[in-house]
Amino acid sequence: MTLGDLDDKAKAALSALADGEADVAGSAAACAAWARDDRLRADWHAWHLIGDVLRSDDLAADPRGDRRLCEAIRIRLQSEAVVLAPADVDSAEATPRAATADGSWRVGSRSGRGRWAAGGAVAAGLILVAGTFALLRPDDLAAPALLASGDAAPARVASRDAVPAPLSPTAEPSTTPAMAGARSPGAETATPPALVADGKWIRDSRLDRYLEAHKQFAGTSALGVPSAFLRSATLDTAAR
Amino acid sequence: MPRAAFLLLTFVWALAHATSASSQASTPAAAPAPPSEVRAWLLRIHDAASRRNFQGTFVVSGGGIVASARIAHFHDGPNQYERIESLDGRQRNVYRHNDVVHTLWPASRVAMVEQRGMLSSFPALLHTGDDGIADWYEVRAEGSERVAGHEATVLAIRARDGLRYGYRLWAERLSGLLLRAEVLGERGEVLETSAFSDVVIGIRPQPESVLLAMRKLDGYRVVRPVLMPTRLEVEGWTMRQLAPGFRAVSCVSRQLEAPSEVAGEAAAPPVIQSIYSDGLTYVSVFIEPFRAERHAKPMFAVMGATSTLAQRQGDWWVTVVGDTPPATLRIFAAALERRKP
Repeated sequence: MTLGDLDDKAKAALSALADGEADVAGSAAACAAWARDDRLRADWHAWHLIGDVLRSDDLAADPRGDRRLCEAIRIRLQSEAVVLAPADVDSAEATPRAATADGSWRVGSRSGRGRWAAGGAVAAGLILVAGTFALLRPDDLAAPALLASGDAAPARVASRDAVPAPLSPTAEPSTTPAMAGARSPGAETATPPALVADGKWIRDSRLDRYLEAHKQFAGTSALGVPSAFLRSATLDTAAR
Repeated sequence: MPRAAFLLLTFVWALAHATSASSQASTPAAAPAPPSEVRAWLLRIHDAASRRNFQGTFVVSGGGIVASARIAHFHDGPNQYERIESLDGRQRNVYRHNDVVHTLWPASRVAMVEQRGMLSSFPALLHTGDDGIADWYEVRAEGSERVAGHEATVLAIRARDGLRYGYRLWAERLSGLLLRAEVLGERGEVLETSAFSDVVIGIRPQPESVLLAMRKLDGYRVVRPVLMPTRLEVEGWTMRQLAPGFRAVSCVSRQLEAPSEVAGEAAAPPVIQSIYSDGLTYVSVFIEPFRAERHAKPMFAVMGATSTLAQRQGDWWVTVVGDTPPATLRIFAAALERRKP
């Protein structure tokens, strides 16, 4: 097998990913290849540009647009309020840090930040935008597989303090805390609970059972049995 | 001349601001509704959902999931009937006759038969005015809009603190039927939407179509989950404090196995499920013995409007699920205390 063959294979896999035809394993392999190989990243970009141009001339206007978009997103992220924070098991018995005066949810304390830094977790900050950037984050794609095997849950952490990782598509992929935890069993006790967002990727039957049991009591809402029941009955379908 | 133009502009600007400020202050529609009115609205929505006959397509979307179902609801004297057929994913039919719910998976020939006695615990509080909803939510009428082909009254429900989500509700103008509901996050972002994409209200009730399907369980493996009523204290637990506005509504001991797994696995220990509600949303606290092979890591998950927190507490594994901000779940998790060794 020549180097050219390998290139073609990687390209084919990446193309399948771009077309939404790759399976989980294929996606993970394609993303890993994408992260390793400059040329594949260039191809990836070119294909999307072609697609954009085909859809609309406006999208072809300026090749510097990508960079500007990334910059803009990074700036917006930094000014964004924190939506979710890593849970803090050690202080579970203490007053919940989450219940701040304005009721918002934040990771602000020095101690919390220190713990996270110690856990090697700081780099994971931007993954909340995983919905948009999923294809650009090779490590993320391996996460559902880990979850399914019960090893670890993928960590999706959003924190104003932990946003330094560049959003540029050419950045090196960073390791998420959950991945680190999964790879080193010794770190288990120190690993804070992983945070999972984006329902599409959660396929843990154990979690489904709790959700289903919870939804059975949908009638405990003033909106009444049918309204709440319809909602839960319809939603259950997707959870299976 | 330019100076005059500038002055004129300044004047116009000041005038515009003064006008807008005064108009904001004098708009009566912006005032929050008094508790009695809130109760009346919610009761109307509740009654419409129970007492009307309707049929339509219902779509729920949130957290990256979109699910739709064909729905029929019939009301006949004291009886309620429902038929729900999933349109996405694995085929799944749900039939309800009052408190009895049958869930059928035709592909795997599994049927789950449940008695959901606690389905309607809260509305009783609405009738007595003891619901407390207005203490925790601010409700405003926001005019009317057209939804699924019907004129609807729009209600904006804002949480008064950060421990619950807000809502926007579209209730059909004549019947009060809830046509669309949005769950809103702290910054007003939509976390989850459930809505009729089309609905016909006032159809002829056909309860026999539901009853017939509920009698036809031949060829199905029937699973009957058992929920034993219990109390947290009886099980050796106590909740030191509740999240503000929440109250305990029920507590059961149950098996938490999916129907397809019941046969294969050794009987797992029962799980205690304690339910708390603030009138519009609710939280479930699950307690079970810790098992290393199952409860690998503490976890936090968010799907649409529903958050889940799972963590170890001594020899126990505690899972808190709720359609609330994460902060609320953490209050419950932190307040749970083992009283009996």
